[in-house]
Amino acid sequence: MNEKIEEITALIQERCLWQFFSRSWDREENIEGIMTMTGKILNGEKINLVTPADKAFYSDAKNLAADIQNKMPWISELDKSGILELVEGVKKRLLHITVKKSRNCELNLPNY
Amino acid sequence: MPLKLFCCDECIPERKNHVYIKEEGEDTTDFLPLSNIDTIAGSLSERGCSYCGAKLVIGGVIKDCIQMIHGPVGCAYDTWHTKRYPSDNDNFQLKYIWSSDTKEKHIVFGAEKQLKKAIMEAFQEFPAIKRMFVYTTCTTALIGDNPKAVCREVQEELEDVDIFVVECPGFAGVSQSKGHHELNIGWMRDKIGTLEPEITSEYTINVIGDYNIQGDTYVLQKYLDKMGIQVIAHFTGNVTYDQLRCMHRAKLNVVNCARSAGYIANELKRVYDIPRMDVDTWGFEYVKVALRKIGAFFGLEDKAEEVIAEEVAKYEGKLDWYKERLKGKQICIWTGGPRLWHWTKALEDDLGMEVVAMSSKFGHQEDFEKVIARGRIGTIYIDDGNELEFFEVLDNIHADLIFTGPRVGDLVKKLHIPYINGHAYHNGPYMGFEGAVNMARDMYNAIYSPMWKLAGKDPRETDSPMWSLTEKDSGVVQES
Repeated sequence: MNEKIEEITALIQERCLWQFFSRSWDREENIEGIMTMTGKILNGEKINLVTPADKAFYSDAKNLAADIQNKMPWISELDKSGILELVEGVKKRLLHITVKKSRNCELNLPNY
Repeated sequence: MPLKLFCCDECIPERKNHVYIKEEGEDTTDFLPLSNIDTIAGSLSERGCSYCGAKLVIGGVIKDCIQMIHGPVGCAYDTWHTKRYPSDNDNFQLKYIWSSDTKEKHIVFGAEKQLKKAIMEAFQEFPAIKRMFVYTTCTTALIGDNPKAVCREVQEELEDVDIFVVECPGFAGVSQSKGHHELNIGWMRDKIGTLEPEITSEYTINVIGDYNIQGDTYVLQKYLDKMGIQVIAHFTGNVTYDQLRCMHRAKLNVVNCARSAGYIANELKRVYDIPRMDVDTWGFEYVKVALRKIGAFFGLEDKAEEVIAEEVAKYEGKLDWYKERLKGKQICIWTGGPRLWHWTKALEDDLGMEVVAMSSKFGHQEDFEKVIARGRIGTIYIDDGNELEFFEVLDNIHADLIFTGPRVGDLVKKLHIPYINGHAYHNGPYMGFEGAVNMARDMYNAIYSPMWKLAGKDPRETDSPMWSLTEKDSGVVQES
């Protein structure tokens, strides 16, 4: 599972921008929202889009899920709990790189 | 050897913290070059000033404003039309520049009267224009002029005019980036929400961080029109002052250049709950993703696919032709900030090129996180690079082409390495599907130009190729 987590983290690092928003809270919000939504899409769950933020998470997640399905055939072999474990692992890894251990000293400036 | 000290920087050892070479297994938690801090005394810099960031990059692009520069006339010239951002109202913003033209006597006795005189004269000379930006510069900020008070007086006297004051003199920050910040936050504070737009579609967006360089904005506008999406405001390519006052009514902010304009998108999210969606609009594959994401937000996926199919059919073959000829070519990207992370994977994925060195003039830590995350192993990443460092990089790597601005561009041309203008383009637009092809064509023309074989030759040498051009062909008989 760790290899799979690293593979998806590398894909996100190369292709996406939402994990690198300007502030810690923004990054945390995006990682949680988009990765949770990606897990739901990969598991074929029903999705209700209520708020503007939901729609934004969904549009990024839809693109990421399609990318994962195209580039990582092993994803179809994972069951529902496997996908959830994968998503939680990627969240943790991204938070580690972009928030907790980030060397970006501007992440918590109140006035940018 | 992740952080590197160039030989030319041996007398400035602090520069080591600004240069990084990526190694296998590393990420940005291991090494992240310092950036967005003062240029180290003793080293050169390619940076622009804070006022330049506000005027040249963002404010000056708006198509229906008088841009009054409160300072010496030289400050006006240095931020004039070098970016080539056209508009559909006959390029008003490219034709004129205004300055309060302060001299020594104004600095000694105060320049507020001079500013008011200049503002009144400008409105009188351009009676159809009712909107103005006023910028302070180092000189007028140092003497303590209050341009906001002057502009309030003018607005009371003329009534039908609206003026926005940007108080960001050149010395306000370490680079032009401070000017981006000040203008974004000032506009959010003073102008957004002061006018209501006419809504013509249920799908409304702001396009943020696009300045219509050689028509980039027109390309995006064409795609969005086909999808039935109304753009409330382009911040700030081909846009009016009043459209920018209506930004609070968009349902989504689509952000291209997050360095120059991420601030306003963040504030619109915080104050008006409008989501921020970051996209790459340069690069053939990236544009597909951008359109799909916007489509998914509004439930317009089918419209997005229609646009993509139409554009791919037109341009994919052309891009493939260039890919055959450009794959494996090694390039450097030495630009401002965001183009590094926008372009690096696009050029590698779309064209098979290799980005071997990147330098950012004003990028922040966030930009370097993106650049390094997207970049190759072994690539050199430089913050606030300078000429001597560039020379040393070129001694140590092979570069077929450099993407940079005209100043560094001229420097590398003297080494007989072609450059493409990464700030104002050679023959753009570079955005969208057609833009990706334009960019590939410019790179192909630069790399394959026969000029480079002749550039370093002495025509007096008999084995010079110049001689073969002047020799008579024995197969040709010329009748006298």
